Amino acid sequence: MPERKQNLPQLYRFCFLMLGDSQKAQEVFHATLREAAVRAARGELPSEPFWLFRDARWRCLDATKSDLQPESIEMDERDVAPDSESQVQRLDPMQLAIWISAAPDPQRSALALFYLDEFDYREILDIAELKLSELSRFLAKGRRQLQAWLDSKFPQPSKV
Amino acid sequence: MKLLSSMRRQRSLLNCAPISARQLADRTMRSAISRADNSAEFVDQQNFDRAVARLVRFISIPAESAEWFSEKDLVPVVKRTWKNMVRNPAVLAISIAVVVIAGVFVFNFVSHLHDFPGSATARKLLGVAGSTRPVMLDPMNAEAGTLGDLFFMKHGLEHYDVPEEFADFSTIGCRVFEDDESRRVAQIWLAEKRMQLFLFPAERDSKTGAVLQFPGWRYVHQEGWTGAVTEHSGVLFMAAVRGGEKDLEPYLLKPKE
Repeated sequence: MPERKQNLPQLYRFCFLMLGDSQKAQEVFHATLREAAVRAARGELPSEPFWLFRDARWRCLDATKSDLQPESIEMDERDVAPDSESQVQRLDPMQLAIWISAAPDPQRSALALFYLDEFDYREILDIAELKLSELSRFLAKGRRQLQAWLDSKFPQPSKV
Repeated sequence: MKLLSSMRRQRSLLNCAPISARQLADRTMRSAISRADNSAEFVDQQNFDRAVARLVRFISIPAESAEWFSEKDLVPVVKRTWKNMVRNPAVLAISIAVVVIAGVFVFNFVSHLHDFPGSATARKLLGVAGSTRPVMLDPMNAEAGTLGDLFFMKHGLEHYDVPEEFADFSTIGCRVFEDDESRRVAQIWLAEKRMQLFLFPAERDSKTGAVLQFPGWRYVHQEGWTGAVTEHSGVLFMAAVRGGEKDLEPYLLKPKE
């Protein structure tokens, strides 16, 4: 095992954010852990850190390959509003997961890993195999798109 | 150009700024955040991120999945026991090497524990004693104590005197030769126990030239031979015998008459 313990509840949440479906998330989560247990029994556990997350990510991507893909449309973007916190609080975790899982990869992986609040940015770059500029772009764009979606879902009363 | 690139990198870092302080291990990230700490845009971003992360933490774990989160690790951590570590070939090889080095060190330390100035030469001469045959010496039938004059008059060797403990023994031969460092050595063969006596220059301090003295008798051992060495007037005297210290002790303790 790597020095830092793999956080299994967070692994499940990651699968859930990637897939937006509790049933699918459980399937991937269980498949990942079963595979890990088999590899552990054979003494073939990878030495690199966060390999469980890396493995789960590929399983999630694989699981959605055959799904209906969202049309690639240009989503609205808005600057993050000062009172966006209250809008986010009105969201259900399931709604957030569905929104994130609808994003194209690797933006989906970037958002899911980032909002787990489990990894620093270098670890996310490692797991999602991204460059800093790419991660930065995906997160900035994700925030703006999420803000636009929140605005459309929970319109703020216009200030006079 | 460099400034632009630096600003772009800082912007990129801020976009990836950690949500909680525990992920703030990177120095460049800390520096980027400290520069942007007061900007309204960054504060909004942080509040937004915290709210989303809080929402993520509310994702409930289904009971079937929670079963995996038992107290024990999914993958049992293989404890490194002493037994396993010792069986590791690398550890084993290093341990053996360390033991051998330590053994050599201890052996050298112990063998040099009783060293004295001139002990190295004395050991070499014990080797000479072991390989000397009577025919190699000039026949000489006299008392050992009288040979000091012979060495002085014939070979110019001053203070090459046999100590009184061995002066009364009769000799069967003697010679003067140069050792491998061109020092002149007098060798005497006694009839008593086929004992051999050696006289050779004492060690000197390389800086001052002063004779390195030591009190009393010291023993050296080499290839089954034992020598008792003493220093007098810048000349070392060694009585060598095949055997141990016990064979020499009676001569050294002999009371003066």
